[in-house]
Amino acid sequence: MAKKILLDTDPGIDDSLAILLALASPEISLEGLSIVHGNCSLEQATTNALSILELANATHISVAVGCELPLVQPSLLAPETHGNTGLGYAKLSEPRTQPTRRHGCDFLIERIMSTPGEVTLVAIGPLTNVALAIRQEPRIVNALKELIIMGGAIRYEGNTTALAEFNTYADPHAAHIVYHAGIPTTLVPLDVTYQCVLTQGDVDRLLRLDSPLTRFIADATRFYMEFHDAYQGVQGCVINDPLALALTFAPELCEYQELPVDVDISGGVSLGKTIGDFYNYNKKPANMKVALGVRPRDFIELFLERMENLARKTTQ
Amino acid sequence: MPKRIIIDTDPGIDDAFAFLLALASPEIKLEALTTTQGNVTLEAATRNALAVLELANASHIPVIAGSVVPLVQPLRASAHVHGESGIGNSKLPTPKSKTIEGHAVDYLIQRVLAEPGELSIFPIGPLTNIAMAIRKEPKFAKAVKELVIMGGAVLEHGNVTPQAEFNIYVDPHAAHIVFHSGVPITLIPLDVTHKCLLKIEHVDRLLKIKSPITKFINDAVEVYLRFSFDHGFTGSALHDPLTLATIIAPELLTFKELHVDVDHSSGVSMGKTFGDFFGNTSKPVNMKVALQVRGEEFIELFIQRMETLAKSIS
Repeated sequence: MAKKILLDTDPGIDDSLAILLALASPEISLEGLSIVHGNCSLEQATTNALSILELANATHISVAVGCELPLVQPSLLAPETHGNTGLGYAKLSEPRTQPTRRHGCDFLIERIMSTPGEVTLVAIGPLTNVALAIRQEPRIVNALKELIIMGGAIRYEGNTTALAEFNTYADPHAAHIVYHAGIPTTLVPLDVTYQCVLTQGDVDRLLRLDSPLTRFIADATRFYMEFHDAYQGVQGCVINDPLALALTFAPELCEYQELPVDVDISGGVSLGKTIGDFYNYNKKPANMKVALGVRPRDFIELFLERMENLARKTTQ
Repeated sequence: MPKRIIIDTDPGIDDAFAFLLALASPEIKLEALTTTQGNVTLEAATRNALAVLELANASHIPVIAGSVVPLVQPLRASAHVHGESGIGNSKLPTPKSKTIEGHAVDYLIQRVLAEPGELSIFPIGPLTNIAMAIRKEPKFAKAVKELVIMGGAVLEHGNVTPQAEFNIYVDPHAAHIVFHSGVPITLIPLDVTHKCLLKIEHVDRLLKIKSPITKFINDAVEVYLRFSFDHGFTGSALHDPLTLATIIAPELLTFKELHVDVDHSSGVSMGKTFGDFFGNTSKPVNMKVALQVRGEEFIELFIQRMETLAKSIS
């Protein structure tokens, strides 16, 4: 039976690729999207989520609007990374569908509690919705099968400050709540995602299939590649979020270590830094499994094949 | 017309006294109690809220349970101040009434949005519920009429660390969210509540009236008095009831408009509330802070109202 997946997301270029990968993967059943502020405003992220589902003929999937602001920190968006619309140079038509009236947090709670032990939550934006849902309904901690988080930089430099990764930096207090909640958690940090570079050659391969979907990927990632080149000297673009999604059905793509992981919320230069206690100085038990090794080309190959299949299916 | 309020609370001895004062005051219409962890666990706070309402024949007032733990900080209760049960040595019967289904955060959002600009909220415990309502529903901050918060120590020293007051210290992140939310705020900090002391002679005066109300006050306050004497006070501070003076006797309080912030950076000043008296930060005023009070007059008013309430319930 297909694994039940909820995706908490702030689309976002790589978020939209994760949504498409979820739709292209028969091993999983995407049960809904909850939207959070992050790469772009909540309103824009919601529009983008609906448009992407429409592009992939998947408007039956519910979209629930969550939190507009981080818990404590001021709002931090990332137009330089994802463009003013959040989707780079891609221009999707205005969605005809509407989000559900349920709040994103309530939607997560309801879906998780309706089938305890069955739902895997993949959180690929700032963790505000997840944290608030935990505080509002503590029972989801035990009812979740698994939580996979794209976030953090354990032994890797940050992509937002010298030390901190964007999702964690955007709402470090929410990350603190989620990390210490007691949910079986897998962290997918920059340590592995920055090995997964989508190249121009990969995009050219997709474009051999002429389809709205492949054109979308090309237009969205072209902006993302320009950002990576200008800011980080990376040729191609790092597709963080699809890797986290892929681990729901292909965990063997990564190697993991069980670690006590914390996040700095003390307001100094390390704000939002994720810290792995490799030598167990703090004598705390491991609170998550951290992906620290990855087979990047296997992942990129899997991603491209699935995008090709989805492109063929949606243009038929 | 009486002012319509919801009290967000963690009863707590002085919380319980605040409910009684609200019920004894014709200027106030108490619409609901929402509960939170703080002085005691959420479970005990909710039970105490129901039991105190029952004691005062006010079980028609809805009680809705809220947050089990603070946002980020670990749970912290204060049995040494309020006794194991949260209401001192008073032994109130297990309440027969029940809470309303649902979460306090959603109840607050729903009530406030149903009547924008009408309801005042009096948070007298940690601010977890209020912060969550603000973050969950961005329209909440604009629709609340005002918040009258018991919390903080602005020029006064703290009561849980040398600098921090209990309600703010328990959930400084929630306080940060609330303080910067744009809701009109009146802050009732230790600066004023430490000047409103209920003393043994006041309790003895109340006990001249035979009533479950005066017995409750006497039983509840005993633990609290002992704690207060140990810390050099001559009586027990009526922190939470003083918030209601903003309605029933505002002339007793002197306010200053200030920019107030709270330290949540995990150092020695964690939970400290500080006012920008000299405008050093150039940040706009975000609240009205009570800095002076005619404490003895407030205590007299409190006792008179308790006497009236006690006479009506015997």
